[in-house]
Amino acid sequence: MAGRVIVITSGKGGVGKTTTSANIGTALAKHGHSVVLIDTDIGLRNLDLLLGLENRIVYTLVDVVEERCKLKQALVKDKKNPNLCLLAAAQTRDKTSVSAEQLKKITERLKKDFDFILVDCPAGIEQGFQTAIAGASEAIVVTTPEMSAVRDADRIIGLLEAADGVESYKLLINRVRPNMIKSNDMMSVEDVENILSCQKIGIIPEDTGIITSTNRGEPIVNNEKSLAGRAYMNVARRITGDDVPFLDIDEPKDIVGKLKKFFSGLGKQGKE
Amino acid sequence: MEQNLNNSLYIIDLGEINTAQEIIFQLSSDLDKEEAKNKRICLKLGNVDLNQAQLLSIKSLINGIDSTLSTVDTKSVETEKTAISLGIIVSNVSAENSTEVVPAMPYKSVEDLKENGSQNEEEKYSIVEDPDIVESDNENNVTEENIQTVGNDQYSSASENTNETYVSVDEVQHTDEETIQNAEGQNVEVKEENVINVDTIIKETDNFKTETVSEKDDVQDELDVIFGSNPVQSSIFEMKDTEEQKYEEREELSEIVVPEQEYTKEDFELEAFPTKYIKQTIRSGQVINYEGNIVIIGDCHPGSEITAFGDITVWGILSGIAHAGAGGNQKARVRALKMNAIQLRIANCYSRRPDSLNTVYIEKTNSFTPEEARIVNNEIVVFKIND
Repeated sequence: MAGRVIVITSGKGGVGKTTTSANIGTALAKHGHSVVLIDTDIGLRNLDLLLGLENRIVYTLVDVVEERCKLKQALVKDKKNPNLCLLAAAQTRDKTSVSAEQLKKITERLKKDFDFILVDCPAGIEQGFQTAIAGASEAIVVTTPEMSAVRDADRIIGLLEAADGVESYKLLINRVRPNMIKSNDMMSVEDVENILSCQKIGIIPEDTGIITSTNRGEPIVNNEKSLAGRAYMNVARRITGDDVPFLDIDEPKDIVGKLKKFFSGLGKQGKE
Repeated sequence: MEQNLNNSLYIIDLGEINTAQEIIFQLSSDLDKEEAKNKRICLKLGNVDLNQAQLLSIKSLINGIDSTLSTVDTKSVETEKTAISLGIIVSNVSAENSTEVVPAMPYKSVEDLKENGSQNEEEKYSIVEDPDIVESDNENNVTEENIQTVGNDQYSSASENTNETYVSVDEVQHTDEETIQNAEGQNVEVKEENVINVDTIIKETDNFKTETVSEKDDVQDELDVIFGSNPVQSSIFEMKDTEEQKYEEREELSEIVVPEQEYTKEDFELEAFPTKYIKQTIRSGQVINYEGNIVIIGDCHPGSEITAFGDITVWGILSGIAHAGAGGNQKARVRALKMNAIQLRIANCYSRRPDSLNTVYIEKTNSFTPEEARIVNNEIVVFKIND
């Protein structure tokens, strides 16, 4: 069976493309699939940092394209998951180093050996974006419940629909704050879905643990207790075709909130 | 108390002294004498246990007067072990047995031998024909002849099977003792063994020695080399684990550094390279290539790459990738006031920062721990430079 090529894109920067790539990749590998992550953000690579593989990179995507090494040599294996590999971007070059055709060739070759090829797309809609989506047949559009991110996502979806290869795209809403939605300070998940008229594949709550995990170089899905980690785990399961209900991100984190919820639940039961 | 064997060998007999302090005291007064200067010193010790630090200070004392500590003769097993670990030749020196002069060869020729590899086996020969031996008494002349013939044999056998010459130090000592017993009989065969073993000793020791030869007068360097034998110090950078890197990293390595032209001995001299001074902070994505030495006055941030044919010296924090000796120069070094390099490459060796050192950023303080990386036994080892 040929592998699936999924591009993770957003248009706007800083909404969590790279974090999503790292976490979905790790989650899929945890489920036993063979996964390769391709960082196409040449010149501003971050994916290796998030996975804690920075010190292992010898060859990069540009080296593969320019035939200074074999494709296999450039694949960096993850520390914990033998199923997960990273094809890092070059830090010392720019986006023009790799063309769409070249990346397409690489994804075609990787399809034979891996179940999933996740392409981490750079921000923007220029050449880097066009290169990243070249080999992909599916897309995950990452957005946050902010007007600017939603506008950019809308633009990206338009470009994806116009692109040849991409057959389906799903929405991933990142950094959702239930408390702010309650107080009407933030767009709700449903609002975003309505504006973009696009099916969602996951809702990731805002989690301070993301920052810690990024700094430590360990994806948050490795942390079972983290709500965001579990949400990413569910996204991975939905990608593989499982029907997983969306996580109740309304879960209060502090003890007082938990007690409140517990007692309010008791009260309701008593009334019934 | 002291005997002068010939021009260059100088024996200091401290066999009757039983404490380390007294040895140092006596030694320093012995070394004050004019005749001890610029000699190869044979140290005769009694039954005193000396540790690494003590032996090291003796060595630096001797180095201080432009002499070298060539052999140590000791009755203590402990001292013997220490000396071996420091790369000092241990043998039973006696005035009667002049064949023992042979071990005290200058290291430099050994180094030449190593540098030129198997092509220059002839040189191994010329070492054996040490002028010192010829100059000594009649007995010595006989041995020299023996050695010459032996040298021939050794040449052929060594070229056929070089592995044979790598004998453990214990074995060597054993055969040395044999030689002494048979020395009066002028047994050629045993002597042959002896000569080979002498070479072996030096081969064993030159793992430590090669680095020091170029800067012998630098005591600090000597110290570094000796500290290098201590695994605790050398484990700052771990070598790449082949298990973790299934994708044939070794193959890559040969591809990273392919010296395009054959380098002669002179080319390897670091002094032959020009030096480039850069006074700026090297930021992520910036690449510096130079066919010579590079000195950077400033920090090298993560994501930067510095490639030099010679040495790389960073007067600041090195956090990027540094590749010294990119032309294949195994003797190139990387120095930094604070070593935090994500990857270090020297010639065709490669090492990465251990995962345990996964710090997000390195604090920019005024306290620096100057370190130097160089190749020891085909591995990149980082040494602390103490003051």
